[in-house]
Amino acid sequence: MSLLEVGLVAQLALALLAVTAAVAAPTPLRPLLAGGATLLMGLSGVATGALALGGRTGIVSAPLTVGLGLDARMTLAPDRLGGLFMLLAGAVGAVAALYSVGYARGPAGSRTGCAAFAVFLLGLQLVPASGDVVAFLLTWELMAIGSTILVLAEHGRRDQVRSAGLWYAAMTHLSFLFLLAGFAVLTVAGHSSSFAALAAGRISGDQAGLAFVLLTIGFATKAGLVPVHVWLPRAHPEAPSHVSAVMSAAMVKMGVYGVVLTVTRLLPGGPRWWGLVVLALALPSALYGILQASVTSDLKRLLAYSTTENVGLILSAVAISMLAASSGDSAVAGVAMVAALMLTVSHAAFKTVLFLGAGALLHATAERDLDRLGGLVRSMPRTAVAFGVACLGAAALPVTSGFAAEWVLMQARIHGDSRDQLTSALLPAAIAVVALTAGLALLTFVKAFGIAFMARPRSPGATTAHEVNRPMTAAVLIGAAAVLALGLAPGLTATAAATALRSAGVVGAVGAATTTSAAAAVGTGAGWGVALPGIGAHLDPLALTLLALAVTLPVVLVTWLLARRHPRRDVDLVWGGGGVRTSPRMPYTATSFAEPLVRVFDDALQPTRDLRVTHAQESRYLVQEVSFHQHLDDRVEKSLYRPAIAMLDRAGDLARLMQNGSMHRYLGFSFVALLVVLVAVAW
Amino acid sequence: MSATVTTMLLVAVQCGLLLALAPVRVGLMRQVRARLEGRAGAGVLQPWRDLAKLARKEPLRAPGVRFGGALPVLLMGASLLLVALLPLLQTATLVAVPDDLFVVVSVLLLGTVAIALLGLDSGTAFGGMGASRHMTVAALVEPTILVAVYALSIPVGTSNLSAIVSARLDHPATVVAPVSLLALVALFIVVIAETGRLPVDNPSTHLELTMIHEAMILESSGRDLGWVEYASWLRLGALLALVANLAAPWGVVQHLHVLAVLIAMVALVLKVAVLGAAIASGEVFLAKLRLFRVPELLAGSFVLAFLAVTASYLTV
Amino acid sequence: MTDAGFTQVLGSCAGVLILTAVLQLWRRSLSGSVTLLALQGAALSALIGTIGVAAADPELIGVAVLVLAIKAVAIPIVLGRTAAATGARREDAPRINPTAALLLSAVLTTVAYLASRPILGAAPDAAQRAVPVGIAVVLIGFLLLLTRRQAISQLIGFVVLDNGIAMIALLTAGGVPLVVELGVSLDVLLVVLILRVLTGRLKHVFGATDLDDLTELHD
Repeated sequence: MSLLEVGLVAQLALALLAVTAAVAAPTPLRPLLAGGATLLMGLSGVATGALALGGRTGIVSAPLTVGLGLDARMTLAPDRLGGLFMLLAGAVGAVAALYSVGYARGPAGSRTGCAAFAVFLLGLQLVPASGDVVAFLLTWELMAIGSTILVLAEHGRRDQVRSAGLWYAAMTHLSFLFLLAGFAVLTVAGHSSSFAALAAGRISGDQAGLAFVLLTIGFATKAGLVPVHVWLPRAHPEAPSHVSAVMSAAMVKMGVYGVVLTVTRLLPGGPRWWGLVVLALALPSALYGILQASVTSDLKRLLAYSTTENVGLILSAVAISMLAASSGDSAVAGVAMVAALMLTVSHAAFKTVLFLGAGALLHATAERDLDRLGGLVRSMPRTAVAFGVACLGAAALPVTSGFAAEWVLMQARIHGDSRDQLTSALLPAAIAVVALTAGLALLTFVKAFGIAFMARPRSPGATTAHEVNRPMTAAVLIGAAAVLALGLAPGLTATAAATALRSAGVVGAVGAATTTSAAAAVGTGAGWGVALPGIGAHLDPLALTLLALAVTLPVVLVTWLLARRHPRRDVDLVWGGGGVRTSPRMPYTATSFAEPLVRVFDDALQPTRDLRVTHAQESRYLVQEVSFHQHLDDRVEKSLYRPAIAMLDRAGDLARLMQNGSMHRYLGFSFVALLVVLVAVAW
Repeated sequence: MSATVTTMLLVAVQCGLLLALAPVRVGLMRQVRARLEGRAGAGVLQPWRDLAKLARKEPLRAPGVRFGGALPVLLMGASLLLVALLPLLQTATLVAVPDDLFVVVSVLLLGTVAIALLGLDSGTAFGGMGASRHMTVAALVEPTILVAVYALSIPVGTSNLSAIVSARLDHPATVVAPVSLLALVALFIVVIAETGRLPVDNPSTHLELTMIHEAMILESSGRDLGWVEYASWLRLGALLALVANLAAPWGVVQHLHVLAVLIAMVALVLKVAVLGAAIASGEVFLAKLRLFRVPELLAGSFVLAFLAVTASYLTV
Repeated sequence: MTDAGFTQVLGSCAGVLILTAVLQLWRRSLSGSVTLLALQGAALSALIGTIGVAAADPELIGVAVLVLAIKAVAIPIVLGRTAAATGARREDAPRINPTAALLLSAVLTTVAYLASRPILGAAPDAAQRAVPVGIAVVLIGFLLLLTRRQAISQLIGFVVLDNGIAMIALLTAGGVPLVVELGVSLDVLLVVLILRVLTGRLKHVFGATDLDDLTELHD
């Protein structure tokens, strides 16, 4: 039994332990025991993933009693790419489990809640380990069921949870159906259900195209791309925060994994329109996601939309890689794919912290509306630091992981082949969209941090807030440290990404280009930086930081000298902005912060505004009260899903004509059906 | 002397030069404007006197303000880093920290974020208003910057600023090519927008309906205000110097020599002075745009940058 | 003229043509639009002249002079007078806002670029490389026609469209015979004159030159 196999089995065993602890442990000890076991399972996932990434191989296989007409065994055999994603899922899971020790109270800390969390994480860690279609679909369902239960955890407290759970369940099943169909096409065409055999079989032609489209729709639904993103902004806010963190940072990434798996391993070397399809899904998602995020004031909803944006960016990198590969530009294809994986890792790191931080805010203030938070940097300094670092990462500012990843992405973009007609027409547009996305992300996260933590508390909850308990702060600080570390030493991620793409199975396609060139295109360069010899660029954030410190040092010294002579004086009112400044109604809120943007994108967002002015009774020139209400709908949902749902409702009403509750009518249906069958047989 | 040490020295000289001259440039611009408007003006050294006065004053802190002291220092650090990264005097840059444009833009945005947070931290309506407008403009500016940069980088094949500048020195014809002109005009417009000059923001107004930059720093005082002002001047100075170097790369040191460095310094001062004076005289004739027509201006500059990219395909 | 210099001048003329077309979308003031139109006419004339000089073709140079006279001088003067006569000074409410129109023009340029590739073949020469610009000018002219409400803006859009067509014809066919260009240019002038009279009538009947008012005529 190889070390990798031990790791895989250990994950199963620890999951079992966690479920047992969740079910058997007494209530006060349950979060600690179940959370601890889940934490260990996450760590074992990290270790196993690292082994697989390092090139170790191993197979755990079990016979299935359900006959599917195939050689029905389920096999776990992670390759390097799978290893990277398993590592990611394990790390996110471990941090979230640590957090849950302090956080999981109430419904999220119930028997069901703790057990479902362990099952959810197990599914998540085993999806990238799957070596065949059966195992993939089974672990995928495990992940889906676990997360659905967790989304519904707090259904007793808020009504919206039920609707969110319904949306989530429906979309998840839609995703599963498409995957099932896609894999069925693949299995039939390749005469095997094992990934290795499918990769070796080289399926091509119409069948490959059909499978690609079905699988892409399925994975895009899981990844939350527009227009199948509708579950994200509903499910993420309503789920307990450690669950939303895992869902956003790791589960959504399984959609990315699926796409990368499809285009690099199962169906490599696809025609050019595949890349265009992915690009056409990805770029609008990035822009739409961040636009919605920038104008919403519900913190967790904001983070959910930002997930759509990031997945859009990741898949746009994948698409650039596919396009470059199909025009034979191997260096750019390799770099773009590495950028996609670096973005994936980076997003996992900062989004974990952001969701966990949002959970901490919710825990401390019972508010998740940014308009009612404020001034928390004083009462929750540790959470504020972690959240701030993660915001820098989300805004792709130096020197965080997001910055390094986006730098690689931009390098791949500007070195795209400008002689190729289609690419040269698309690249400027793609650059512009990504740049606008980055600009809006900057605004969004300045808003998220500045409004939540700075200025003055805007509600009683925010006034009486307190720092959260140790496991929770530890979890967010570990995550923030990871964001910084991956930013200072992006060479680590880049090398891991290049290694993952070198995977034995990953050939051709993004392909012939990527596998050989990813390693050649990415080196760690001097120190910890990223070097892209393929396109002649390098980045060393550590050196940049040193330079920044060197130039800032004199400023700090001068400030210190001046401060010794003229210390700061505390006053009640500096300038006051023309009024009494102690009122919490004075500072800008998140809604007012985003107002100029709403106006600029008025046509795209189409907000509904309601302005009511109540005049004083004595004179209509005196205003007694002004009430302003603004509502922003998700336009895709409004124009695409509402009509579809209304149509389904009408179909349901029609069906009621047939099904009126009369026993005789039902018996009549059976009778007619029997007759039809008999006639058909006699024929 | 090894090459690295020389380069570091030159970077230090560059920082020193801009630090010394950024306030003078502001003074010059104000003076030009004053003369054109028929006023006597306060003299080009007035900004330096203002800074000295602010340094001697004690900063005030209102309750609830947390980062009033740290953010100005961060902003100043970011501005200095920006100056250190740009190829203003020379085309040889530090090996470990290439002046890659994406890095430069990120450092610029770091400063933008610092000042926006300063506005939010003050907890007043004005601070938030300024921060909100500032970030909206910054978000809309970014596509133009990156597409313009892309247009400039196509002929050179790299996004390193020093490579772009030295390519322009080697082939002066490329400077007046349509690609480069369109991209430069687009870059110029976004520099104006990003640093809050007319017609996007009026640097000398305190009218609440229109102000952006001033609104954010309204609550700062003493040395905090001094740093913020100094850093903003430095930012504008560095960006103008960059545009000037792209438009007229002559004088930039390619082969190291003491005399060459001196010439480069003089050339840089002249270029920035001319550009600054031109902007100041242009501002006399400009009115501030309504805030919600600023996107039109930025969309216009974006289209220019976009056309520059398209044009570069025509001439390749 | 050297080869590189030729390309440079050609590129600059094409740049001015597209730039003036884009700026038409931006400007609201009618007098500004007319000035831009004159500039565009001059650029077109310079383009024709450059190719004429490079090919040492006296006929083309004649066309250039003609175009300069009609499109850079005559038509702008007529339009300017029309604007003054009707009292219309600004295009106040275009159908789509200028920001969207500007972004749309970027998209149209891309479309023009993509669409012109199959026409041009594998190795286009310097002049042919500027064909996408001509197509883009045509598309932007159409956009102006579609989105503007004022009668004079419509006329401007029409002339922009015509400039684009002239440019494409020149660049792909290597020049238009003098007679044809003469006919087309005079036609445009004639159209402008007729529409000027009609605009005057419109102003007389409705008191404004907003073309939306024409929908009132159906009954």
